[in-house]
Amino acid sequence: MSYVSIEFLLFILGIALIYYIVPKRFQWVILLIASYGFYLSSGVAQLAFIVTTTIVTYFSGRLMQSRRDDYKAELKKLGDKVTKDQKKEMKKEVGKKIKKIQVATVLFHLLVLAVIKYTNFAIGNINTILNVVKEGAALKPLDILVPLGISFYTFQSIGYIIDIGRGKYKAEQNLGRLALFISFFPSVVQGPINRYDDLGAQLKAEHKFDYTKFKFGAQLMLWGFFKKMVIADRAAPFVGEVFSSNYQDYSGSVYFVGMLMYAVQIYCDFSGGIDIARGAAQMLGIDLPLNFERPYFSESMADYWRRWHISLGAWMREYVFYPVMLSKPVTKISKFFRKKGKAKIAKLVPTVITPFVVFFLIGIWHGASWQYVAFGLYNATVVAGGVALQDVFKKGIEVFKINTENFSWKLFRIIRTFFISGGSKILVSAPSLTAALYMFKKIFTDFDLDFVFGLDGQLFELGIDKKNMFVLFVCVLVLLVVSILQENGIRLRETIAKQNIVFRWSIYIIALIVVLVFGIYGPAYDSASFIYEQY
Amino acid sequence: MENKVLEILQRVRSDIDYSKEKSMMTDGVLDSFDVVGIITELADEFDIEITIDDMTEENFDSLEAICAMVARIQDED
Repeated sequence: MSYVSIEFLLFILGIALIYYIVPKRFQWVILLIASYGFYLSSGVAQLAFIVTTTIVTYFSGRLMQSRRDDYKAELKKLGDKVTKDQKKEMKKEVGKKIKKIQVATVLFHLLVLAVIKYTNFAIGNINTILNVVKEGAALKPLDILVPLGISFYTFQSIGYIIDIGRGKYKAEQNLGRLALFISFFPSVVQGPINRYDDLGAQLKAEHKFDYTKFKFGAQLMLWGFFKKMVIADRAAPFVGEVFSSNYQDYSGSVYFVGMLMYAVQIYCDFSGGIDIARGAAQMLGIDLPLNFERPYFSESMADYWRRWHISLGAWMREYVFYPVMLSKPVTKISKFFRKKGKAKIAKLVPTVITPFVVFFLIGIWHGASWQYVAFGLYNATVVAGGVALQDVFKKGIEVFKINTENFSWKLFRIIRTFFISGGSKILVSAPSLTAALYMFKKIFTDFDLDFVFGLDGQLFELGIDKKNMFVLFVCVLVLLVVSILQENGIRLRETIAKQNIVFRWSIYIIALIVVLVFGIYGPAYDSASFIYEQY
Repeated sequence: MENKVLEILQRVRSDIDYSKEKSMMTDGVLDSFDVVGIITELADEFDIEITIDDMTEENFDSLEAICAMVARIQDED
């Protein structure tokens, strides 16, 4: 069942009705039934994967918890009889036991994910090597079922396991409640990636019907439908055409506009889907974390990655970035340089190494291809380069006497970051890595402004006609104005709610009509599927 | 100890008023590179081992919280 379908609207309304009618202590059961029902609608076979992940996560969590509880009970029993050194030794022992369970579970989850997502990528690479040795030799790619949202719920489960291992919170004792945390239907398809101490607690709580929350949730869903159906799906044919296998037919300016279109499409597709997910959860009284904070207003790539897919960034920071930065090999290298009196290099080494590890993982998380590896390395180079060259930039600003408080300087940084992130978008939207490099070259060598401004008419021959291009332009303008208002701290839903009834409802009705009239409908009135679903 | 910790914090980020900030990590005033920089310097200065388990927002939200964490680790050692 797609989030952008009549079925889903009826589903969420039906669930909300039952959810608020049943005794509050059963609310979580309703959500569990709804989540599994939703998941089942995408196929029975897929269910086996999420159930296995849940069971393994549950028992592993409980096992770690019981090890920790036993240690605490033993400590209590011994009371004053235990010395500080003995206490330290006991702590170390239990830590080792917990770590073993933690590492084994994380490896299990990663192995399942790797087999499902990367087997065919590995086969493709082996075939390339085999072909060098003997022409025509080839292994057959496997027909592997990729369960819905596997990257999202696996990461959520890994986060839970690591947190229990670190003693951040206690393991969930109820299998059903953990199953709900892992499969919660608004976020199971494309996130946000939830943390157990946040979502788990909310799913446990009892929720009274709150009209304001329900209304704001519905509005957020409508805004998500607008972004996804009116903007993203309208831009999609253009992106599909430009970045198709016929890519060599075009000039550099076509790729440039294609990049702009893809930037609009991917943002509206993903953030629109997240708005729908967060809105649906909010209707049930549950707040999912923010996943986007107007990333195209970022002033640097590091800033961009703090605003784009925030829950993945936070996950990476917590479970990859910090552990790598504080790992023994990295700290050893740092210490080595510090001892040699090279404090600057000592600081620089971890800040340069770690982004490469993190962005490599972010790259292959998005997709099993060399294009995504290149995407990761591209982002890592820019982010690590930015940190490494900080002092040089500061000097440059001083030498050229640049007023960094100026709006023009801020605007320059925003535009520069937008195009740098646009470069990484070409890397993944082009049909191949070679094609992406060809496009980069053409953008700088074969540029035609007439095309960009639609003066030669060719702009309207690439999947979007003049009328639809106009609708797209106006809607992106609306999105831009709304984003500027939000960036300036204006909370639109609250502001509109304060207006008089006629004005307020006029806005709601106009928004609904815009989605109904200008939304792009796919087969059977369902919109096209979400891009991030495949990750 | 507080003065030494403050010195380190100012070395890493001189633009923050540490007497006022009470939720530096939660609010994202300190970014991840800053936090790691602080940890490395604290480890060197006080000869302590700050592990990943100590990397919580509560431990890095304010100057007082950081001092309390250092004192606790010193005590455990």
